[in-house]
Amino acid sequence: MIDEKEVYRYLGYNSGWIAGLNAETKNDHDDPMDSSSEVIQGHIREAVASTEAAMHPKACYGRFPIEVKGDGRIRLPYGEVVSHDLTRNLCGCKEIFLFAATIGAEYDRLLRRIRLTSMAKAAILQAVGAAAVESLCNKLNDDLRKDAEAGGYKAHPRYSPGYGDYALENQKGIFGVLQPARYIGLSLMDTLIMAPEKSVTAVIGLERL
Amino acid sequence: MKTIREKMKEGFVFFDGGCGTLLQAAGLKAGELPEIWNITHADEIRKIHYDYLMAGSNILKTNTFGANALKFSDDGEYSLKNVVERAIDNAREAVAEVEAGTSEGTDSSTAQEHYIALDIGPLGKLLKPLGDLDFEDAVDLFRKTIAIGAAYGVDLILIETMNDIYEAKAAVLAAKETCELPVFLTTAYDASGKLLTGADAKAVVAVAEGLGVDALGINCSLGPEQMMGIVEELAEYASVPMIVNPNAGIPRTENGKTVYDVTPDKFRDAMIKIAGLGGRILGGCCGTTPQHISSMIAAVKEMTPLPLTWKEHTLIASYTHAVEFSGKPILIGERINPTGKSKFKQALRDHNMDYILQEGLTQQEKKADVLDVNVGLPEIDEAAMMTEVVMELQGVTDLPLQIDTTDSKAMEQALRRYNGKAMVNSVNGKEEVMREVFPLVKKYGGLVVALTIDEDGIPETAEGRLAIVDKIYKKAAEYGIAKKDIIIDPLAMSVSADKESAKVTLDSLKGIKERYQGRTSLGVSNISFGLPNRDFINASFFTMAMQNGLDAAIMNPNSGEMMKAYHTFCALQGYDENFTDYIEYASNLPVVTVGNATGGAGMGNVTADSKADSDAAKDPLIEAIVKGLKERAAHLTGEYLQTMESIEIIDGKLIPALDIVGKGFEEKRVFLPQLLMSAEAAKSAFDVIKETMQSKGAAEEKKGRIILATVKGDIHDIGKNIVKVLLENYGYDVIDLGKDVPPELVVKTAKEEQIRLVGLSALMTTTVPAMEETIKMLHAEGVDCKVLVGGAVLTQEYADMIHADKYAKDAMESVRYAEEIFAPRLD
Repeated sequence: MIDEKEVYRYLGYNSGWIAGLNAETKNDHDDPMDSSSEVIQGHIREAVASTEAAMHPKACYGRFPIEVKGDGRIRLPYGEVVSHDLTRNLCGCKEIFLFAATIGAEYDRLLRRIRLTSMAKAAILQAVGAAAVESLCNKLNDDLRKDAEAGGYKAHPRYSPGYGDYALENQKGIFGVLQPARYIGLSLMDTLIMAPEKSVTAVIGLERL
Repeated sequence: MKTIREKMKEGFVFFDGGCGTLLQAAGLKAGELPEIWNITHADEIRKIHYDYLMAGSNILKTNTFGANALKFSDDGEYSLKNVVERAIDNAREAVAEVEAGTSEGTDSSTAQEHYIALDIGPLGKLLKPLGDLDFEDAVDLFRKTIAIGAAYGVDLILIETMNDIYEAKAAVLAAKETCELPVFLTTAYDASGKLLTGADAKAVVAVAEGLGVDALGINCSLGPEQMMGIVEELAEYASVPMIVNPNAGIPRTENGKTVYDVTPDKFRDAMIKIAGLGGRILGGCCGTTPQHISSMIAAVKEMTPLPLTWKEHTLIASYTHAVEFSGKPILIGERINPTGKSKFKQALRDHNMDYILQEGLTQQEKKADVLDVNVGLPEIDEAAMMTEVVMELQGVTDLPLQIDTTDSKAMEQALRRYNGKAMVNSVNGKEEVMREVFPLVKKYGGLVVALTIDEDGIPETAEGRLAIVDKIYKKAAEYGIAKKDIIIDPLAMSVSADKESAKVTLDSLKGIKERYQGRTSLGVSNISFGLPNRDFINASFFTMAMQNGLDAAIMNPNSGEMMKAYHTFCALQGYDENFTDYIEYASNLPVVTVGNATGGAGMGNVTADSKADSDAAKDPLIEAIVKGLKERAAHLTGEYLQTMESIEIIDGKLIPALDIVGKGFEEKRVFLPQLLMSAEAAKSAFDVIKETMQSKGAAEEKKGRIILATVKGDIHDIGKNIVKVLLENYGYDVIDLGKDVPPELVVKTAKEEQIRLVGLSALMTTTVPAMEETIKMLHAEGVDCKVLVGGAVLTQEYADMIHADKYAKDAMESVRYAEEIFAPRLD
């Protein structure tokens, strides 16, 4: 399920505007900008529908032991890394889930196609794609959290390469361990950008309760 | 010993089972490269091979799934060569051990024929255009591994677990270009019956058999029960023997361990069913063990395999789906072709890819099944252009393509790079042409259009044309090309020059069907050459041809008469289930109205009305642009041009409208989608003005020239494109260098074009250094220009650090900066 409010947020709409999205009191017909919001809403719904038709959400993950060594050093399944921010996130954890998720390559083609016709629609589709992968991650995160809780663990908020000082370079290690190319068709380019475009990798710390 | 090619023709052949799970059980760590175990744990590897041979397997997969030059170096202990050769040694030694054992034994019926398959897995990278691995680089990577294995000695090449048909194509080509060994291909489908990149089984068959694989099938991802549907589909379409190597079910994790649920008994039962459906070369993948394999073999070897049968389906494919030539006629859109189209010619000369791609998308909307691609123009490099257009088209449309060229170099390059099995336009009865085209079709696969013309010209009788058909079929067979991969075009000639010409063509069509059960295609519109209202003749002729069994037409999907003929024919002929297509077509035809349909009310008083000027937002054109109504803005501009000068409209309507929205955006009352919709509405207004000016011979006035580029290494250019749309609206001439642009190109262009403003965009922290390098180089080369930077990860601090002149946080700020730079100087 793609959250329309998320889409507006990615498009830069401020929270006040989004809060009023479903309010019925918007009747300022003299303001032409206001009446155009209906058209935009139509475009967004269309983009959501076409994204839902094009997306093939897939994810792979594994559960691994880790060691938080202090001084920002952490032993992860692919080697030792230094990240103070990730250390804070993983405080108290001896295990992690590592996951990779993608909405698939067909969405990328859809985006390429729509760019030829309208940049406005492309910008909207871009936001819808971001919301789609976000919702996929939330769903996966929920499942993994429940799984952890059932085993007596608390799941920490997910953390991705590129956040804080957890360098994007870590993508290489994550891809080495999870091999998402084989299982979900997700690959890492030399620039450390993932292909397909709307994809996420992340670490979820598991703290024994 | 029989060769594997002979053996698989006689009956069942058995693969071994999974290896990865067994290695993990033996202590292989996550992230550790299993291929290194060929050297460090040779005993473990040999033991796995030995156990599978004892279970009855005929074919061993070497432990080389991930052995490629991306992961292994050229030298050192774990060089690619050493890893591959040791893997083959391990398999050989296991075979020798087992064969020595059985030859001493008393029961000679257990003596097996054993084969070693060089196992080739995917490279782990997505190919261009969606990923960053070039097709030829992929071919080279596969070639390296295959060359080592073939030279050291294996019995066949197994390309397995492919989840992208394009990568599979690269691997098969590499194998075929490196050695003469049999090539087996298995791909991994997901639960929806498709590869991860979208191809269904029918498309995979089309592509794989086109490339000439010896056996084809499915492995990994699914358990045997989930594979039944795909197995049935393969059995229906594939002529080569079918390989089925399932997982022991779909993997799931339990207490942190990967487990598979299908027991050896359940595996056996499912494989019996698969053998009954036509599976012939059977084994296992992840999670299967020697127990699974021996249990399966014991049961299946008692069965009689289904006979191998030749399938007559005429198929082409894109990277997602196959198009079959049977029954309902196939429409091949002819619009990507410069002949007689000055705009298209100009687009080719200007390298205006968007225009060309748009021609493709429009035809897809109009229900074309296949797109013909012809980019021949004397002054351009046709081979390079053809390859690029094919690649770009495949980035936006999933329709199969027809490569239309007489340049054999262009034909080969395009066929090689094409993701799928293409149509080829064309060959004919001339010896020289057949000699040139058929080897390409044989090597890369394809459905080739064959014209009934030879050294003596076009025969005037149907009998004469059929004689050429006969010759073409025979010659193709010499090259190993089946009749089903030839589609005959008996040529429609102008009926105004010869009143018999339509009849001869129709008689030829009928003859090809009756005598050869051949497939046919026609370039329909030639028939009406020289006559007025050509569509009328074309459409009737089209119907007559379809009635005579035409399988495909090369035609213009934008032609109303032709589409009417097509939809009505399909409805009447019973090709249109529930009349769905006809109803959709007939109920969505544009309504013909008298007068203007989009003008709207209140247009009578729009001209230079001072009231309208004072109350800007109330002006209909301004309002249309603010609201982002493209068609209305264009229409109103056309009306305004009757009474106003272009410049008055631009300065008095378009710019003020953009300013209203721009200001709203800056004040956060208006958001990105509306800003862009307004920009697009303004652009459609500009286009109308531009056309009028051009028709009057007046030159467009540009405020200044700006370079835009997404820096090297970065391929996300949506932000840059947004800025481009806005800058163009404000009257700037934007030189768009695209994405992944090397610094040298920015500098060179800036120098040559004497650019005063360069805009650079970067999305990733990893590509900001490339931005810095570009700025440095511009400065070092003394280019006198300002540099504007933007992009998701940039901040003012970053911008200062890399010595940019300006950081723009959004598209509007870029416009404001351009206005500042290009403001008329007062001095």
